[in-house]
Amino acid sequence: MTGRAAALLGTAALTLPLWPAPWLGVPVMVGVLLALVVLDWRLATPPGAIEASRHGDRTVRLGETVVVSVHLHNTSTRPLRGLVRDSWVPSAGARIDFPGAPKIEILPGGRAVLPTRLTPTRRGDRPALRLTLRSYGPLGLAFRQRAEHPATPPWTLRVLPRFESRRHLPEKLARLRVMDGTGVSRGRGQGTEFDTLREYVVGDDVRSVDWRASARRADVMVRTWRPERDRRVVCVLDTGRTAAVRVGDEPRLDAAIDAALLLAALAARAGDRVDVLGVDNAVRVALTGGAQSTLLARMVDALAPLQPTLVETDFALIAGEILRRERRRCLVVLFTALEPGALGEGLLPVLPRLATRHKLIVASVHDPVLRDLTTRSPERVQDVYAAASAWRALADRDRVRTALARHGVTVVDAPADRLASMVSDTYLRLKALGQL
Amino acid sequence: MTRRRRWHRIVLPLGLVALLLVVTWITSAVDQPDRDDAGFLSSVNTDDDGGSRLAAELRARGVAIERTTSTPQALSLAPHDGFTLFVPAPALVHPLYLPLLVDPAARARVVLVDPSQRVLDDADMPLATADRRWAARTVGTAADGQPCPLPEVRAAGPAAALRQRYTDAPEFGYRADRCYGGGLARSRWRGNDVVVVGASDPFRNDRIDEQGNIALAAGLLSAYPLVVWLDLDGPEPPPPYHPDGDLEPWSPMPGEPNPFDAGETDDRGRNGSEKSGEKPEPSRQAKPPDETNPLWNAFPPWFWALLVQLAVAVVLAMLWRARRLGPPVTEPLPVTVASAETVFGRGRLYQRARAYGPTADTLRAATLHRLLPAFSLPPDTGPDEVTGAVEAGTGWSRADVHHLLYGPAPTTNQELLDLARDLDALSGLLAQNPTDPPRHDRPVQGEAR
Repeated sequence: MTGRAAALLGTAALTLPLWPAPWLGVPVMVGVLLALVVLDWRLATPPGAIEASRHGDRTVRLGETVVVSVHLHNTSTRPLRGLVRDSWVPSAGARIDFPGAPKIEILPGGRAVLPTRLTPTRRGDRPALRLTLRSYGPLGLAFRQRAEHPATPPWTLRVLPRFESRRHLPEKLARLRVMDGTGVSRGRGQGTEFDTLREYVVGDDVRSVDWRASARRADVMVRTWRPERDRRVVCVLDTGRTAAVRVGDEPRLDAAIDAALLLAALAARAGDRVDVLGVDNAVRVALTGGAQSTLLARMVDALAPLQPTLVETDFALIAGEILRRERRRCLVVLFTALEPGALGEGLLPVLPRLATRHKLIVASVHDPVLRDLTTRSPERVQDVYAAASAWRALADRDRVRTALARHGVTVVDAPADRLASMVSDTYLRLKALGQL
Repeated sequence: MTRRRRWHRIVLPLGLVALLLVVTWITSAVDQPDRDDAGFLSSVNTDDDGGSRLAAELRARGVAIERTTSTPQALSLAPHDGFTLFVPAPALVHPLYLPLLVDPAARARVVLVDPSQRVLDDADMPLATADRRWAARTVGTAADGQPCPLPEVRAAGPAAALRQRYTDAPEFGYRADRCYGGGLARSRWRGNDVVVVGASDPFRNDRIDEQGNIALAAGLLSAYPLVVWLDLDGPEPPPPYHPDGDLEPWSPMPGEPNPFDAGETDDRGRNGSEKSGEKPEPSRQAKPPDETNPLWNAFPPWFWALLVQLAVAVVLAMLWRARRLGPPVTEPLPVTVASAETVFGRGRLYQRARAYGPTADTLRAATLHRLLPAFSLPPDTGPDEVTGAVEAGTGWSRADVHHLLYGPAPTTNQELLDLARDLDALSGLLAQNPTDPPRHDRPVQGEAR
């Protein structure tokens, strides 16, 4: 039944004054129309005879556009005239991109490609929900449409985090190289490792002369050092309620993922092993570092679908997981929020266990709104109360920071756009000092 | 935008004109007295649409008035000779009476006010209705260039008699006397003397004084010394007895081309004679079981068939629209919490609790926290030293500084606001000679050195 059938019947009704017996005309016209509709329905291509498949990209970085196409193959002997709708979730930003959409015509045995341009608006997995096909008869009076005929080809587009801190990577790597090369002769930090022996050249630190080796050889030998390698870095992402807070335009978790990715890229290049944990009241993501070349890709893929949940983070679980997984001393970077409630009751009790075994960094995105409230000149009395409240919040945060510092925890509290850079800097500094 | 304005330019004037027309038409329709109203042109009705003033004028001229409320009574009351029968609402007269009504006696005149074509047909008159005006118009007595043959009309002069024009019915071959451009016609067909007036205005109380209206009305009715005034309140019941035994339903609607199309069936009379035992109450209308709703006959059959077919088409359209192209897509929305939500919430709580003291304490402590490093004072400095240092640094008076930093808690919102502004000004002075970067810019703290 289509609008055309209804319009035809309505138009035909206007001829009724001309009929000698109007009451006979109604059933005659309705009957003829229904017969035509049934005929048209029979002649329409059955949607089940269409085969659908999907091709295109599986992943996209947030903010970019990819094309995923539906390929339709008409296996029947009749031409297909119809409408097609390829529904994706709204946040996939799907836009049908073929001429004449959503109308299609496919000859018998023919194929058609229906591309859809996707510009997702959120990180995570964006599934294609359903493909609907409506097949019209040759007269356009009736159509056939049935759920899952043809079956919806499943597809999920993984939207990867933007990883905007990529641009910091060359600079950090340059600093790493500086440590690698010139740092050799500069310092003999307690944590630096012995690398090789080479002949003394003028300018070398005489303290690095290895007399025992010199005695064995005819030359004066000096020891060379290199930064520690094969250390372990564990990035722990708190995905609990505090991660859902929107700072600026994105959730805290997105800034944390960004920072974790930069840190992982840097640490992997520096020869350290990187593990990733995403935990709230359960372990959401656990990634153990493997080959350096694939680590970043695997990590991006694993972190992409991570979403904050409205639960209180179980820090005892985090501590247990870290202690269970990491036997050796390692650098634990905990991405969370400096909130007295969450950290004071959750983290501080388990902190001694953790801090004695591992080096801990707490990285937090701080909220520019607080600073804005405390520095703005008050206009109304509401502003005064809000400023007082903000001062209280800052004071609470300072208390947490002091409590953490007492356990030797390094705290990085930075705005979202600088968090990644600062966490990496901290990592590099600790590495240079040999404190990993 | 421009397109929309162009659209307005066309639609607004047209709409105004249409609105004006509609309003004019409605007010004119409301203003026009209804010929079917009870008391319309009644000799005892003193309202605008009554005829009491006409009756008074007739009495003044020495004409007796006999008012009756039913046609049979009027016919029986009338003497054999020499009277005028005045029918202000001929449309209310039952059709079966009309042939009798227009020929009551040998010497009698019948005056019909604004009879419709249906009335003229039923009364078997050799007249036909022509065009009809919206309102009555005052014209001279002549018609078609001929002077009016009625002396009393000629004496009356111009009057508001032209609304419904009458012409001769072609099938009779009779030529009636006409005045007022066709608004008044007198027929002597078959020897009777029937005057039809196409407008009720000359007889009505509200317009009887204009021009020659009263002269025309009184002149027409005072031809004989007696006027039988047929004053019907509503549609008349049919005659109690009819040789055919059955009566068609009829409509009192004036101007209806076919009297048997629609309207209420008024068969009280027949009930009274034929089915009195079955339905004793005269007020309730009996409906024989085989009788169909007259609404069915009000429109031609194709109309009903058209409605049915359109209904079927609408059902088809509903079936068409009811099938959607796939279900709506759903997606779980991500959890998002507005930033600094708790801070703002706590601020509102302070405000609701009127926590002037704690708020002021917090602000003062925060200012001191910034102040002490600026003046290189240890954190546990006493109030006197701080006040002295601030006085030296800013030039504010000692009492002011002390009141600002250590004074009593404010007691109103305004005091609190003033305090906050002063503290902010003090911080602003300190910021001009920066000694300490803002503390949230120190990203790394607690680092083991």
